Amino acid sequence: MRLRGSFVKGALLMPKDNDSPFLLDRHERSLQNLDRMARYRRSEAVDLVVVGAGAGGITVAQRLARKGWRIVILEKGPFWDPDRDWVSDEKGAQPLYWTDTRIIGGNDPIELGKNNSGVGVGGSMTHFAGYTPRFHPSDFEVRTRDGVAFDWPISYWDLKESFERIELELPVAGQDWPWGDPHSYPHGPHPIAGAASVAWRGARACGIEMRVGPVSITNGVFGNRPHCIYRGFCLQGCKVNAKASPLITHLPDAIEHGVEVRANCMATRVEIEESSGRATGVAYVDGEGLERFQPADAVAVCGYAIETPRLLLNSTSRRFPSGLGNANDLVGRYVMVQGATQVAARFPYELRMYKAPPPEVSSEQFYETDESRGFARGFSLQTVGPLPIDWANHVRAEGHWGQALREYMRDYNHWTVLAVLCELMPLAENRVTLSAVTDGYGLPVANFTYSLCDNDKKNIAYATRVMDEIWERAGAQDTLKIDRYAHLVGGCKMGFSPEDGVVDSSHRVWEVPNLFVADGSVFPTEGAANPALLIMAVSDRLAGLLADKRVSRKEVSPSLRR
Amino acid sequence: MSVLPFDFAEAHHLPKRRLPEQALADPYELPRQRRGITPQMHGRYPDYDVLEQQEHWDEVTRRLVLARVTDVPPIRWFETAELETLTVFADLYLAQDSEPRIPVMAFVDEKLFKGELDGYRYFDMPDDGETWRIVARGLDEEARRRGAERFPLLGVDDQLDVVRRFANGELHGGAWNTLNVSRAWSVVTRHVLEQFYSHPWAWNEIGFGGPAYPRGYSRFGSPHLEGAERETWEGKEAYGVDPVVDTQERGLE
Repeated sequence: MRLRGSFVKGALLMPKDNDSPFLLDRHERSLQNLDRMARYRRSEAVDLVVVGAGAGGITVAQRLARKGWRIVILEKGPFWDPDRDWVSDEKGAQPLYWTDTRIIGGNDPIELGKNNSGVGVGGSMTHFAGYTPRFHPSDFEVRTRDGVAFDWPISYWDLKESFERIELELPVAGQDWPWGDPHSYPHGPHPIAGAASVAWRGARACGIEMRVGPVSITNGVFGNRPHCIYRGFCLQGCKVNAKASPLITHLPDAIEHGVEVRANCMATRVEIEESSGRATGVAYVDGEGLERFQPADAVAVCGYAIETPRLLLNSTSRRFPSGLGNANDLVGRYVMVQGATQVAARFPYELRMYKAPPPEVSSEQFYETDESRGFARGFSLQTVGPLPIDWANHVRAEGHWGQALREYMRDYNHWTVLAVLCELMPLAENRVTLSAVTDGYGLPVANFTYSLCDNDKKNIAYATRVMDEIWERAGAQDTLKIDRYAHLVGGCKMGFSPEDGVVDSSHRVWEVPNLFVADGSVFPTEGAANPALLIMAVSDRLAGLLADKRVSRKEVSPSLRR
Repeated sequence: MSVLPFDFAEAHHLPKRRLPEQALADPYELPRQRRGITPQMHGRYPDYDVLEQQEHWDEVTRRLVLARVTDVPPIRWFETAELETLTVFADLYLAQDSEPRIPVMAFVDEKLFKGELDGYRYFDMPDDGETWRIVARGLDEEARRRGAERFPLLGVDDQLDVVRRFANGELHGGAWNTLNVSRAWSVVTRHVLEQFYSHPWAWNEIGFGGPAYPRGYSRFGSPHLEGAERETWEGKEAYGVDPVVDTQERGLE
């Protein structure tokens, strides 16, 4: 579908091959077709087992289910009912995060959990902010253009139609987008709050263009999904069903077409047939703590940048003694985060940044390499609206405690916050390995080491100066800075050859012909855009390749030919 | 220039905007809370009580939030002596120097007792529960070095000095040698702030709107529209208030 011009917006445009918005209920947030969900026997091989019910796994399952594939998704966390399980409260959102122990280290250890790791059906998108910018065409050829990092074995143009399909399904709301490959969005821009309009004003004074959106939040009725109510708790799970997550955008349709989700099931190993080297299915521990095995003709691992490498590394065998896809010691390497420093600013009047979606306006004016800045690649700018606990972390970051802490906290309603996403480099030593520490299943947990390189530090420093300048021009009376990181991608890099990546351009693990990885871990570089949209887009593309049998059929088992 | 005590359009009260020789603004000069409760009963929104909005909250959220006020969890993780030491520490950290106080350590205790982790642990740190116990031991050891048997028995100036040195990562020896002191500060302050600012009394103090489902917001602000940043039920900040209009509005005439 091509979207031309901005006059066709909102409810006039609905996705063709995804009935999810109509399978939801207007008044109840839970999925309505669970009583019709398929139940496959563990004694029979299904066509595909997907590990992880997030942006990658649910998207690929929904697409292939429509082509007749019989699919089981294993998800470590619960099957959410937003009415019953989610709250309009910061601390109460803790169950949405992957909070099992992981060990962090390196020169710049990355805090996990709440910040970047989801659990449960819907994955991290249940608590992502909602920003869904596209990657730029340049993101796929960084090595060629800038001489750093990697080129992707696929290009922006291989994904353009996937971006458009997904944007219509979420649906994405925003102004016409002038950066990267210019495009429009299916829903018009949301109104912006006072807190964001101050940032807009400061940016304009600096000659920086901003745009409203792009956010995957309904701006108008979309099937049975209601309009956003601007309550500001996007990061705590949307109780409205206005903000997109695959739980509501793709899973209802997937279930209607025969996908089974087994919640509370932790995948422990991808099993291999030693003679052929093919995957035979996935071993897991179910909600009762029983060890189970689901045979399958193909397996797709969609556990994100920490758990996907961990599962492959834990799946050792005589044939693959260092784990699956790891003959060249690449599994778990090149894990990336984005430099996400935030600068808060104080104004004479009340702004009450807790209202409206935290993501409101953004700019990609600094996205591409500009040699005069002295580093490769760039960053994007966005507004955010921290709630009180998060705000306390901004104050704590500058070392305030006691009466000083309380004073800044009491001043909450006068503040607003700008954030950046700096593209940081993929480095071999920024990696996930297995720790000596084990989890409740007796499996080694992930050990994640991370250190910044010189280019990263320059990028973050420059981006921070831009934020400072915007606030100065906006007339801020005081500022507070917090250095932080956002998002997680990489770890099972897509490459041109087995020496260059864990998977090929069709997401197939080089060494295991019927094992695929479909999540953010396959990204060779991370751009300066939030990863959610691209994770869904690459999964959409993979499903297209598999369903159209453009991935060599000889390598996929006979029962996949339907 | 004379500065009105409650002129929040100016930023003179903010710690980074104060002159080097100037002490922090005294919170006891702020208005006393007239409706609802704030920690120490001072705040910027004297007539705002977020709990009065509870009928507009969804049932699941209401139960969760009200329990923080009505059902303070029992102590199950810490030993009595540990709890005493850590409560003094947490209250100094939060400047809770008089009643009413939010019982933050009861909520920290609940989190640790239930084994609720945050999803990461630094390679050079024990787990979070153990970190808290080591901090309690370290604070008591520091008190003994200063001639008091335990941290709660130390004079308040000495206590504040210990907290300052903890914040700066300057505590050494004994318990402090078994972990990374700066990261320990990060763990305990993160936990304390999570509990304090999830309590509705703290929301009253800072004028936060609280749970917002299913009502949502229709007035979310524009600096160009007078009053458009605030729903009618949201608290007014205590400055620039015309006493005649104010008493009329509150029906005090």
